[in-house]
Amino acid sequence: MLDALQGLGRTTLDFFERLGRGHLFLLQTLSKLPGMLLRPRLVLVQLYSVGVLTLVITVVSGMFVGMVLGLQGYNTLVDFGAEEALGVVVALSLVRELGPVVAALLFAGRAGSALTAEIGLMKATEQLSGMEMMAVDPVQRVIAPRFLAAFLSMPLLAAIFSAVGIYGGYLLGVGVLGVDDGAFWGQMQSAVDLRDDIYNGVIKSIVFGFVAGWIALFEGYDATPTAEGVSRATTRTVVHTALAVLGLDFVLTALMFGE
Amino acid sequence: MPETVSTENSHSADAVVRIRGLHFSHGDRVIFDGIDLDIAPGRVTAIMGPSGTGKTTLLKLIGGQLRPSSGSIRVHGEEVPALNRAALYQLRKRMGMMFQSGALLTDITVFENVAYPIREHSRLPEALVRDLVLMKLQAVGLRGAADLMPSELSGGMARRVALARAIALDPMMVLYDEPFTGQDPISMGILVKLIRELNDALGLTSIVVSHDVQETAAIADYVYLLSHGKVVDHGRPEALWDSSSDWSQQFLEGRPDGPVAFHYPAPNFREDLLHGGRAR
Repeated sequence: MLDALQGLGRTTLDFFERLGRGHLFLLQTLSKLPGMLLRPRLVLVQLYSVGVLTLVITVVSGMFVGMVLGLQGYNTLVDFGAEEALGVVVALSLVRELGPVVAALLFAGRAGSALTAEIGLMKATEQLSGMEMMAVDPVQRVIAPRFLAAFLSMPLLAAIFSAVGIYGGYLLGVGVLGVDDGAFWGQMQSAVDLRDDIYNGVIKSIVFGFVAGWIALFEGYDATPTAEGVSRATTRTVVHTALAVLGLDFVLTALMFGE
Repeated sequence: MPETVSTENSHSADAVVRIRGLHFSHGDRVIFDGIDLDIAPGRVTAIMGPSGTGKTTLLKLIGGQLRPSSGSIRVHGEEVPALNRAALYQLRKRMGMMFQSGALLTDITVFENVAYPIREHSRLPEALVRDLVLMKLQAVGLRGAADLMPSELSGGMARRVALARAIALDPMMVLYDEPFTGQDPISMGILVKLIRELNDALGLTSIVVSHDVQETAAIADYVYLLSHGKVVDHGRPEALWDSSSDWSQQFLEGRPDGPVAFHYPAPNFREDLLHGGRAR
């Protein structure tokens, strides 16, 4: 009983200690962002690594998700003779929810895990210590550009995911299932609101980019510098990012669309 | 067991590094329990001791990567634990460190690795950076490997590149963390030669942390032996061989038994076999 209580106490203390370290790390990272204006090349390199290299999985997944939405939406709508509203269903589902959320989950799996593994290995091979001993701040030189790249990439990837998804829904709905072309685009245009739907979706993806970048980089920076430590940190990145994104999605949706 | 620093290596006013009453712990484990140590300028000073005795930790304390629990660490007259980040970085520009793993940045070439600290801390024209880097690489015999990636280097070559990077900013002091560990005889010979010759040619102060007795003693001007958080012995290498300390003799001669017992503490063997009954 006493052991169980001790264990609970230790776990709770460890959790809050880690939470504190994570927030201090975030503050340190944010304080280095203005310095990135002087070294835009560092950010550009990371934009390629974090953003461009995540494009393929984003585009392919977006296409499939859009086609599935088209198929599922059509099967439901056709029972009510409302299949011409398919464009609205596909677009709102993607822009409000699936675009930001699924793109963030894919981002965590592809770019987030890569960031954690990279930083964790740099720590394990003493590259970060080496930088410190060369009087180079690793947070400024390594962490901040990656964080900014993640933050900038996420909304763009979510937008691309949604756009490709809508096109996937269009290909399936109009091309295969015979929904009217004009109705598909026309109803979508009249039903999707720039402020309520698109802006809110963009805000979500900005928040998700911030959180996904923070978690991935902190997990790498805080990893135990061993092969097992890096492996565990990489797993934690994917799990924690997925949970954080889904939890935040609920909170943001309640704030944006709740009564 | 001497607890105070001898006059041979002290000349406290001149010492590049002056450590007094250093205490440091990792959780409940005491790493240093009040050590005093002086590093004289222009010399190669070796810090030796068994694995896990805190030699690398001592380098990190000197470099300001760790803070002591108590005690004083002065480097070139500056109290390292009291320095703010900017002042610490200024001090580190005057130090080079060669890590055991080399710690080369793995995504850039050998040339770029050596150029890295120069580019980070100066606005020199690219032609001059190139000349400086090639001079450093020539000094360690690896000018021809400038375009290789770190993954293409052997362990010994990686350490030589790390050494070229450590001297890239013409530091006053170079810290070597286990430079000889895991090296073949040729690589070891090269590193031994480089550490001594670079120290003398560039007027450096070198601190070599190692447990390779023969190689380290061959180039060191002064040796500190550490064990169990204390300075067990110190002096000129040749004098240490005549030390009256049993521990020093066991360590220097590599005897398997002595003050450091061969057997890890355990219950009586006979009792354990006959009546122990513990599941192994």
